[in-house]
Parts: sequence; structure tokens; C-alpha cells
Amino acid sequence: MIGLGIDAVSALGPSVPMNASVETLASPPADLVGALRRCALGDRAGLRTIYDAEGPRMVGVALRIVRRQALAEEAVHDAFVQIWERAASFDPNRGHARSWLYAVVRHRALNILRGEARTDLVEDFEPMGLTSPEDDPEAIVSRLSDAGALRRCLEGLAPARRRLIVLAYVHGLSHGELAGRLGMPLGTVKSWVRRSLLSLRECLA
Amino acid sequence: MTRDEDLDRLAAEHVLGVLEGAEASQATELLAADPGFAAAVARWRERLAELDETAAPAPPSPELWRRIEADLAPAPAVQAPAFAAAPAIVPDPFNAFRALWRSLAFWRLAGMASAAAALILGVALAYVASDRARTPVLVAVLLTEGSAEPAAVVNAFADGRTELVPLRTIAVPPDRALEIWTLWDRAVGPRSIGLLDQARSVRLNLENLPKPGPNQLFEITLEPKTGSPTGRPTGPILMKGLTSTAL
Repeated sequence: MIGLGIDAVSALGPSVPMNASVETLASPPADLVGALRRCALGDRAGLRTIYDAEGPRMVGVALRIVRRQALAEEAVHDAFVQIWERAASFDPNRGHARSWLYAVVRHRALNILRGEARTDLVEDFEPMGLTSPEDDPEAIVSRLSDAGALRRCLEGLAPARRRLIVLAYVHGLSHGELAGRLGMPLGTVKSWVRRSLLSLRECLA
Repeated sequence: MTRDEDLDRLAAEHVLGVLEGAEASQATELLAADPGFAAAVARWRERLAELDETAAPAPPSPELWRRIEADLAPAPAVQAPAFAAAPAIVPDPFNAFRALWRSLAFWRLAGMASAAAALILGVALAYVASDRARTPVLVAVLLTEGSAEPAAVVNAFADGRTELVPLRTIAVPPDRALEIWTLWDRAVGPRSIGLLDQARSVRLNLENLPKPGPNQLFEITLEPKTGSPTGRPTGPILMKGLTSTAL
């Protein structure tokens, strides 16, 4: 979702679904709303369309949270089973199909991270939880669209706060994990997160 | 901080994924029960969604799709009318008809409709044939959270029998179960009276509880497969309702 798209949608009202993204602008974007509608009617081809268009990126999103290919695929597996079951509850007036789909994936990945495989995963983390340079929060922000509001607004935050928000979203770190990972008091983390989110909301309005 | 501000903060932190413990379960509950909160969550998802685009695609192993397909329910639960309001895209009537003909959901609905008709007929006949002893003394209509549509009925009979009759299907994730609760005294708190893998008619076992009375709460929450770990409802409330005395 390019930031411009988000602005345009809030200006025009939510009835104009836009599925264009930075990466898919080159090829025609998949009709995710139509695919979800087909899922709701029991047509598996609809689910396959979503899988083909978004599967690899979804595994990538889950991988940043659970850190292991097998667990990331498990999260995506569970997410697709849920997407199939809940396709009828997707409301195109509430937001984009893509955000809804990725929310399901992130939710499953977070549950795996928080619950089932937690102790397993801890050993894998480097002290900062950053195992590759691509995972660095600044590198992630630099991959956001130049023209997008989200990048501009994240860059408007103080570097330490930007880091907090990006680490939380991308790696699925909780308040407590952020505090532990960054060696900050829990109260400070909570108030930084809260205030950063308020600034983001204002900036993105 | 106003309540709205506080809810928006909770929605934002839920989407960001930083919540733990009580706040995390509060957000999950609100998401199912409070349309305003769900809308705030949807807005925050839109705001932050572009961060998902920065993930490098990781090609799934070839068997992932096969595993997904193997675990799909025959057809998704047809329940939410979200798409009903959207304009239907029907490019070709023949294809649309063929899709409908092939659609399991359609046949399931058709099957359910005829089953429902048969059920209504059966119930009506049974009612006519029955004596007064078979009329429930207490009835609770359980309404869905949020949209407040009738989702199930609890009937309590004079002889102590109590039954739950669902009126709509509920999509239950594979690792979850429906837990039925009743509350007759706030001082005692809610008591679990059963665990269901799906919405179906069941007799409720209230033998160890006081006889049901008017204004007794019945509700169903979504819980882990083996039931709430705490003995109290932890998951989102799917439906609830109070008993009334039948005339």
C-alpha cells in the first residue's frame, strides 16, 4: 500500500479499494477483493489467487516475526485456513483486502511467537534480535515508498522512537520484550510507544 | 484521557503487536464485541500496512499449498452479510449459474434451508402433539455481540431439562472451541456448563447448579480447545442473552 493510496482513500471515502503496492505496480495487481468474494462463495480458486499473489510476501512477513521458515509457513498455513473460513466477514468498506489479509498472517505469527514455540525461539535471537542487516529498523524505513506518508511520518519521529515502533511491528516484540531488548524501563517503553503512535496518527491524518 | 482516546490507543497497540497479558485479551474481546473498536483497529491496520511491504518475499516450500488445501473446510461458513451490500460482479450469467451450481456453499445452504424447513415442520408437529409439560418454562434468546442478531435459544423445561439450540453456524477455528457459560449470581461469577466443537443443539447439564431462574445470563465464548484455562471466560463473547419466563 503506498502512502499516497492511503491518503487518497481517506479523502475519497473508503469505497474505492486500492490494491496497488510498490512492488506490484509493474504487474497488474491481483483483485484481492474479488478473490475474497470467491472464497466466501466456496470457490477455492479465489484462495489460490491470494496465495499466488501474496504467499511469498506473507511468508516473509511471518519470517520476520517467528524467525524460522518452518514456523513462518505454519503461520501462513493457519492464516489461509482462517482466511477461507472468515472470507465472508471481510468488509470492503472497512479497509483494504490486503491489510485484512496481512493482519490475519501477523496475528497467527504473533500467536506462534507468544505461545507455542516461545522458549524455542528465544535462543535464536541475537541480543538485539537483529540477525541480518535487512532487519535493521532504519533499513526497513528506507524501503518504504519515498512518496508515502508513512515513511515521512516515521522519519519525523526521533530515531530511538522510530526504532521502537518499527521493531515492534516488524518483529512482533511486546512492550516487555522491547524493554528487555533495548535495556529500557518498561514504563518508558510504554509511554514512548503511546506518544509515538499519537504523533503518527496526527501526521498520517 | 477520554474513553475514546484510550480505546484508540489500545487499538493502535493491538495492531502494533505490543500488548501482553490482560490488555491483550481485552483487545481481543473488544475486537469481537465492539464495532467501534473494530473500526479503530481497521484504521490502524491501514496506517501501518505499508510496513508489511518491506518484508523480502520468502518462497514457500512447494508442499505448503497442498497442506493448506488439505485443511480447508468443504465450504466456509456462510453467515456474515458483508458482501450482500456490495454490488455483485456477474460478468456472464451462465458462468455465474455454473459457479452457483458448483458451489458447495450454495448446496449447503440449500440443504440447510430444506433441513430447516423440515425442522420447523417437525417442531410445529411436535408442538401441536405435545402437552403443556413440554413447553419450556424459561427461554433465553442469545444475541450475537455487536450486531445483536438471534444466534441461539436456551430452553429450560419444568422437569429440569435445559437445551441449547443454535440458530446460525459459527466459524470455529480448528484450535478453538465454544464454551457455554451461565451466570445467575454475580457474587458466584460465571460457571462453565459445556464445551462444543461447533454450533449444534445440546442438552445442558445444570445438575450441580441451582435451578435456572428468570434473568439468568447464558453466553458463549470462544476458548482454547480444552476450555478456558482460568475457569472464567477469557475469549471473545460470541453471543449472550437473559432468560425470561415463558407465558
